[in-house]
Amino acid sequence: MNESSNIPPAMNPTIASIGRGFHQSDPPLGEVASDRRPIASLIMAIETVLREPRCVLFQLTQPQQGRLRRDLVFVTLVSSFIYGLVVGTFSGGEQLLAAPVKIASGLLLSAMICLPSLYIFSCLSGARARLSEVCGLLIAFLALMTILFIGFAPVAWVFSQSTTSVAAMGALHLLFWFIATGFGLRLLERGFRHHGAHDGMMRIWTLIFLLVALQMTTALRPIVGTAPTLLPRTKQFFIAHWMESFQK
Amino acid sequence: MNSTSSTFDPSQTGILLRGQTAEIAGWIDRWETKRVWYCLAAIFAGAGLFGAVVGEWRSPLQAFYGGIKFPLVILLTTAGTAFLNGMLAPLLGLNIKFRQSLLIILLSHTIAAIILGGFSPILLFVVCNAPSIQISSSASWAGHSIVLVVEVGLIAFAGILANVRLRQLLDLLSGSPPVSKRITFAWLGANLFLGAQISWLLRPFVGSPELPVEFLRSNAFQGNFYETVFLALKNLFNS
Repeated sequence: MNESSNIPPAMNPTIASIGRGFHQSDPPLGEVASDRRPIASLIMAIETVLREPRCVLFQLTQPQQGRLRRDLVFVTLVSSFIYGLVVGTFSGGEQLLAAPVKIASGLLLSAMICLPSLYIFSCLSGARARLSEVCGLLIAFLALMTILFIGFAPVAWVFSQSTTSVAAMGALHLLFWFIATGFGLRLLERGFRHHGAHDGMMRIWTLIFLLVALQMTTALRPIVGTAPTLLPRTKQFFIAHWMESFQK
Repeated sequence: MNSTSSTFDPSQTGILLRGQTAEIAGWIDRWETKRVWYCLAAIFAGAGLFGAVVGEWRSPLQAFYGGIKFPLVILLTTAGTAFLNGMLAPLLGLNIKFRQSLLIILLSHTIAAIILGGFSPILLFVVCNAPSIQISSSASWAGHSIVLVVEVGLIAFAGILANVRLRQLLDLLSGSPPVSKRITFAWLGANLFLGAQISWLLRPFVGSPELPVEFLRSNAFQGNFYETVFLALKNLFNS
């Protein structure tokens, strides 16, 4: 730690957690025995992301974790595909394939677009995570978000079978997406705090990611409804698209 | 105090962005050609990528021109104010050598260029989603304005952060916040003053929808930035 730096030293995670609303017992990663339990299978990865996120955060900092990262990416793809299938059941037809492909690819594309700025913001906030560790945290964020999509999938399916309003279904999917993203961002923020991030820089990145992801949904429309073409011929800002949809 | 490796290491990007001033002060202490090459490479890569993306809205050729011109703005501004800034530092209370002041400013610009490079994918996404140049005239100008506003916003953001890091470094080197504040503002003033004019000379960057794609405007060296702003204000108040 650089004591003569003008940047405040990274706060002790326990102290940080008291100030920031985490559980008071949030010791540094690796200090709790359960952190070091290896994640040996895909099912275990899903369970650990939900129940013991500290273990995932710690394992992602360890060397030779390519398999865990691959498993989490696979979980992200499959979960977003399954949720996309549920989204596609609203319109049926070619949307049954188009919606899953668009949701999975749009999510990954949004993450890739925002990855360089995530690394920059993490450094600016004082986190000492390497680029590979930042990638790992981003993958964990996506995995948790999309696993939660699966939780919302039955609810979304019920609503999609009981309404014909594209705007209403779009709003409902967005609501579920916001909730899932909120939990994912909480995991991401926690991960960066354990790497020494100590100010609100990550909140700016959060805003950027939300804007990019929301615009991506408009760039890849239609996802819920149908249209003459698979992808739009005109460019539109997502708020303008929403207003147009609600007026129909 | 951590000491940096004497060999060039790209992972020191993190050191610059985190503002680990003790390590960076160690770099300032000794002139290493590899450090300068790293700064030049980062400026060309980061600012070049950003400039290319900005120009891409207009045309691929404008993107190529932008990829060359953005780093040139930074490097020409650095070179143009090098002697002045080197003199101002000791006059304002920080007794550093000329090459040290040059390296400090180069590192500050490197931080800005890295941030701009990191935001390039996001800017490219904005460019892809903004109204393109082919369609109606009003939509073209809307697209031009969107790209221009986002570009200026990102440059301002990168510039502010780079200057925050500069100020932190000067705080450490001078040991006196008033001295570092004076030097920061003096250097910033000099760089902004010359940088604005160099940007004016090297326009266009986005590319007006109604003008041809050019590396430099045919009237680039007729008039200057401040004269144009003065005339614009004069017209505004007279109308």
